[in-house]
Amino acid sequence: MTARALQRRSTVPGLATRAALAAILVVVTLAPVGMLLLWSVSGGWLFPSLLPGQLTSEAWHAIGAGALTSAIYTSAALAIATAVIACALALPIGRALARLRGWRRHVGAAAAFLPVASPPLALGTGLQVMALAAGVGGTAIGVLFAHIVPAVGYLALFFLGTFTLFDTRAEAEARTLGATAAQTWWRVTLPLLRRPIVEAMAVGFLISWTQFALTLVVGGGAVRTLPLEVFALVRAGEDRASAVGALLLLVPALAALAGLRWATRRTALAPA
Amino acid sequence: MSSNSRDNRALVGAALIAAPVLAGIAYAAAASLGSVGPGASGVEPGRLVRVLGERATWNGLGFTLWISGVATALATAAAVTVAVTFRRSTRFDGAMRAIAAVPLAVPHIVAGALGVWILAQSGMIARFLVGVGLIAAPSQMPALVYDPLGLGLAFTMAWKEFAFLLVVTAALLTTQETDLEEAARTLGAGPWATFRRVTLPVLWRGLLPAVIAVFVFVAGSYEAAALLAPSDPVVLPLLVSERAADPDLARRGDAYVISLLLLALGAIAVVVHEWARAGWEPLGE
Repeated sequence: MTARALQRRSTVPGLATRAALAAILVVVTLAPVGMLLLWSVSGGWLFPSLLPGQLTSEAWHAIGAGALTSAIYTSAALAIATAVIACALALPIGRALARLRGWRRHVGAAAAFLPVASPPLALGTGLQVMALAAGVGGTAIGVLFAHIVPAVGYLALFFLGTFTLFDTRAEAEARTLGATAAQTWWRVTLPLLRRPIVEAMAVGFLISWTQFALTLVVGGGAVRTLPLEVFALVRAGEDRASAVGALLLLVPALAALAGLRWATRRTALAPA
Repeated sequence: MSSNSRDNRALVGAALIAAPVLAGIAYAAAASLGSVGPGASGVEPGRLVRVLGERATWNGLGFTLWISGVATALATAAAVTVAVTFRRSTRFDGAMRAIAAVPLAVPHIVAGALGVWILAQSGMIARFLVGVGLIAAPSQMPALVYDPLGLGLAFTMAWKEFAFLLVVTAALLTTQETDLEEAARTLGAGPWATFRRVTLPVLWRGLLPAVIAVFVFVAGSYEAAALLAPSDPVVLPLLVSERAADPDLARRGDAYVISLLLLALGAIAVVVHEWARAGWEPLGE
């Protein structure tokens, strides 16, 4: 069938509609990010100006002196640790869940989804009690534990999706040819799973990097991550510094998303 | 290894993931009954009965569901519209889908801040309206921050979650057979009829789990609500933090009852989500 005939038969709207929608889409999604950039360098931006009166890089220079620097380190360390640990825990669980059939599969998937669907503030209430009992309340270790909980749930579902489509014949052949379980894992399974593992780590990173309520509740305000600092700046009406903080949060997240490249294509689960 | 013990190990793993939530539910339930936590005085249902009898609790629940419903409906409609409009595998359509996915990477706290800067009465939309001469002063701009209908929060969350639903919808469209649509068109159905009677029903089955996830995610989100939601009625996540920091120490335990309500909302979403997913996911049997 020719392209023109295909187009006529499909449900894709006409050119004018597409152009209008494309314009709206670009404005609605990209203009807010552009506005953040402008706020971060605005010397004063009063109503009703559509553009800042003068530009200054003051707020960017102030990063080094402010609380944002240590918050970046704290957030990055937590996010990287969450990505690695949650991925290592979720992979075997997701694989095991993918083998289940019938009611067991539903119960397993529902259990993994529970920490993802639980409102963070309510989930944090329980995690706080556990963290305090373990003596890690208000510490970075306690917050790391709190970030890992929803991340493992999310990634277990991610790997459940991955392994539902996974072909185990290559592994079986390797074992038949005499490879040990460890050799099979390192030489066959891991290379086959490289892409989903990278994607899972990107998702795990994002879950921790953007986490707010769990950090606040379990960290008791003592563990200052970037989202907490940005929240405080927005609340204080420090527009320029807030915009800088928001961009510092956004850029690694966009990079992770780009690296992720449609990870959700594999599995339709929950928002990151 | 027998398949039974392997199955059991898988379920133990899943139980470990759920354990912190279950422990949280158990603790919140015990604290609601006054047997643990601040001001514990043995099991007595007084607190539970009192909080569940308060108007603020049910107004908060209703308001939370309203905002979540508006945000989810808007996000779903926008995601399906954009995904269907830019569904081709051309470079342009791919670029449009990539641009639309940007809010996926935006943390909720940043989305909330953007909501304030854009929707406030002196925000970007108001400035634009002044520029085109539709309004003259901030007071003429309809309030969308701390507004009693919660529309500012709903719009902000819709913007944020739209991207996630778009990615899911776009993925569904690439795997979906176009035969059915082509057959409908060949048999004389117009484009709109084809979309409404064929494309949408097929999409909806795959999209439903993600829609449920978005609904409960919006309902539970805290930071954007703290920046945009009004103080009356109060959405449930804000009500939890308000009660937990109540100047009246005896009321602080009330936060556990409201937490319990939120957790119940999450648990219901899990059951409905799994039911929706089961109706769609091929189990390979």
